[in-house]
Amino acid sequence: MQVLRGFLWLLVGLLFGQSVVPWLPVALPAGVVGMLALTLVFLLRGGIDADIAAVSQPLIGMLALLIMPGVVEIFFVAGRFADQAAAILVALLVGTLASVASTLWLLKRCLPATEADTSTAP
Amino acid sequence: MNDAVITLTELLTRWFDTPIAAIALTLAAYFLGMQVFKLLGRPNWCPAMLIAALLIAAVIALLPVGIDDYQRGAAWLMLLLGPATVALAVPLYQQLGQIRALWKPIVMTLPLSATLASLYAVLIAWAMGAPPEVLASLAPKSVTSPIALSLTEELGGSTALLMGALMLTGLTAIFAVEWLCRLMAIRDHRLIGLALGINGHALGTVRAFEISHQAGAFASLGLSLTGVFTAIVLPVAWHLLF
Repeated sequence: MQVLRGFLWLLVGLLFGQSVVPWLPVALPAGVVGMLALTLVFLLRGGIDADIAAVSQPLIGMLALLIMPGVVEIFFVAGRFADQAAAILVALLVGTLASVASTLWLLKRCLPATEADTSTAP
Repeated sequence: MNDAVITLTELLTRWFDTPIAAIALTLAAYFLGMQVFKLLGRPNWCPAMLIAALLIAAVIALLPVGIDDYQRGAAWLMLLLGPATVALAVPLYQQLGQIRALWKPIVMTLPLSATLASLYAVLIAWAMGAPPEVLASLAPKSVTSPIALSLTEELGGSTALLMGALMLTGLTAIFAVEWLCRLMAIRDHRLIGLALGINGHALGTVRAFEISHQAGAFASLGLSLTGVFTAIVLPVAWHLLF
């Protein structure tokens, strides 16, 4: 029951996002607006609703499962992009490697390292 | 024999008339993928999700049902992506104290990191002669799928290619973060989480939650900020360039 009550609140957040999205100057998905709104609600109430916490844990664990059906399609349309395969693969592999390297370098330079020791403790 | 085949075809068509068969197939492939993943010794170059997606593709290719029949049913499962995105508010709120203490470095690094995540790939593909449709499908490659899907539609890319790009980016990001962190002696879970969320969207975030709760929360932060930033900047930058 707790999970269902929490799920209802997530749906309310999503519906709120859907109602706000048309008024926004940029095309943000309703889910992201709902997430930001819910964070704001937690902030105002000074804590997380137990019902929402109960449903969030399993739902976040399911994220990979939820993306999977979209991935299946690529195997069926891959042929259409066969002549671009080299450009696509190099762009994704090298581009991502380069962007991870720059992110880590930037974060390492800018994030204060003092607290790092506490976070690595088991 | 022939009658049996026809009956089987009829049965399968009836199965896929409702979303049940597609959802059952997805769940079965997911659990089987997890099993195979464990049997292979949890290789980080081949996550359970990729194995499961290949299994589903193989089943669809073998059975007399089309990818459209499957997608129509699986769309019911993907509906949950919306509430799951809203649910990310919980880890985000839990780390708000940490985030508030670090807002300055985050504000300084995140926009540049998110821009580079998209820019590198687009520049490489452009230099190698890829047409605008392909560039539009690659540009949102580091953004979480609900945002990326609406972005690529707006820019005129292919959603199927984008989903493939998202998966490959997620895998490469997980691999690159783990490899480079070892190389650069980075053990700070906040930093690892942020890097996974900024570059590897939901896949990276799932991986970050496996590392630690803190890494997961920072990955959710990286994922959402990258998503919001890219959703605002990419369409504007795109229309200036093309």
